[in-house]
Amino acid sequence: MNDSLKTTPLNQWHRSAGANMADFGGFDMPLWYDTGVKNEHLAVLKSAGLFDTSHMACITVLGKDAFDLINSCFTRNIDSLAPGRCVYGAFLDEQGHCIDDAIVYRFSDIRFMVCVNAGMGATIAGHLSEQKGGREADITDLTGKLAKIDIQGKNAARILSGHLKDPDTVFVPMPYFSFKGDIDPDQPGQIFLADGTPILLSRSGYTGEFGFEIFIAPDKVTALWTALLDSGKDAGLTACGLGARDSLRAGACLPLSHQDIGHFPFINHPWDFALPYTEDKTDFTKDFLGADALLSCKDADHTYAFAGDSLRKVNAGENTQVLDADGTVIGRVLTCATDMAVSWSDDAIVSINTPDLAEDVKIKGLACGFVMVDKPLDIGARLTLKEGKRSIPVRTVQDIRPDRTARLAIKNFI
Amino acid sequence: MKALDELNFPEDVKYTKDHEWAKTDGDTITIGLSDYAQDQLGEIVFVELPEEGDTFDQGDEFGSVESVKAVSEIYLPISGEIVAVNEDLEDAPELVNNDCYAGGWLVKIKPEDMSEMDSLMDQGAYLDMLKG
Repeated sequence: MNDSLKTTPLNQWHRSAGANMADFGGFDMPLWYDTGVKNEHLAVLKSAGLFDTSHMACITVLGKDAFDLINSCFTRNIDSLAPGRCVYGAFLDEQGHCIDDAIVYRFSDIRFMVCVNAGMGATIAGHLSEQKGGREADITDLTGKLAKIDIQGKNAARILSGHLKDPDTVFVPMPYFSFKGDIDPDQPGQIFLADGTPILLSRSGYTGEFGFEIFIAPDKVTALWTALLDSGKDAGLTACGLGARDSLRAGACLPLSHQDIGHFPFINHPWDFALPYTEDKTDFTKDFLGADALLSCKDADHTYAFAGDSLRKVNAGENTQVLDADGTVIGRVLTCATDMAVSWSDDAIVSINTPDLAEDVKIKGLACGFVMVDKPLDIGARLTLKEGKRSIPVRTVQDIRPDRTARLAIKNFI
Repeated sequence: MKALDELNFPEDVKYTKDHEWAKTDGDTITIGLSDYAQDQLGEIVFVELPEEGDTFDQGDEFGSVESVKAVSEIYLPISGEIVAVNEDLEDAPELVNNDCYAGGWLVKIKPEDMSEMDSLMDQGAYLDMLKG
């Protein structure tokens, strides 16, 4: 291992389990375990998967102007965000380019937590400090002080409930993008594991499937990780690496920061919901850093989700080309992953979780991801993705993996 | 990723720097991917192979393997004509992971010049290369 890489508290566990490790955002992280990335991907859709996401970073913002500071920098309007709720969005620079995407958690009117990507704690904390001006807000980068694991999939709540103190009161009610507990043991509203360890439990994740992110002290995370895997084994709970996380998020039409969103205008993409558009989409409901640049930019490229005709793919990146139906080069491929749980059936994508799937449908997997092109396209537009001698036929789509569970009511899963 | 001593490198095949193996079988040569290559790639979900009768020079790209993670080109260890392709891989590409030196073979070729086999690495030289 490259000595300059950072590790999470679970690094030794990953290595002992024989994980295929790689550098991700400066961290030595598991790509997949012996189970293999295909089985890990399918485990999340059939039962549940457990992910080490401790490489992500958290920042707290505290003070009477904390709300105003975040709302002036974040692409979501957190005016309507109630305490105990969290929301996905992005931090932009003055040009409207994405510095990083994030989830903002609201504890109270004066206390917030921001969860960002690996290695981005200092960057976003620094950005908020720069934007603070005369506002009263204390910004604290918690990089390395919190661990996080995500349990994702339809059995997540059932497996987790055996490890919680009072699971019945924790889970009901617990809507999508809400959270319970705290990262500071001195605050009210704590929730605990059965052994008394405090956690912050968030009903979110980045797989498109039902589940939770669990924030916990670094010295407590390995015990929880091994206990969950042990108790969930019979139900099919599987340790999953970043390979499965990537293919699951691509199938769920979610962007990877610094790849699908990054140093280009955060607009004309499938993530309109992450911008505070007015109903007619001609303006924003609030002012925020980057808003003027987005509203005035006329020639920004367009990002679309695509699905391949089969599971054949290209290696995404600078060496790729996107050709339209006339054979004109119009852009490049941002992400190209394989969602092994989907296939085309007539003109619709079906998944292994699609109800009443016809018996003759054989799920073989599809290439999917995002392309960035220099002109607007219709959904269903035929494209060719090229990389070197390889070319694959794809089409733009509104969505990729159907019948996802992330938004379904928790009562379906307990 | 497995440690080298957990991987299998048989003595009766020759290896290339691109991690293919080649084995003489009468007057044909069978080609496949080494245990190291399949372990690095992860689960293989698609194998693209040439047609019987296609000819290639030593080191030419003759197909590709796709894992969930990436697409990788595969190169022919010695010049020759493709005389057989492993059709089992169409429905079971995972054979390359599970049985890379037997059921997961890729193609058989009729070599142009059998002496090109001498330019390939034996087990010891290949292991030395992997150990860096």
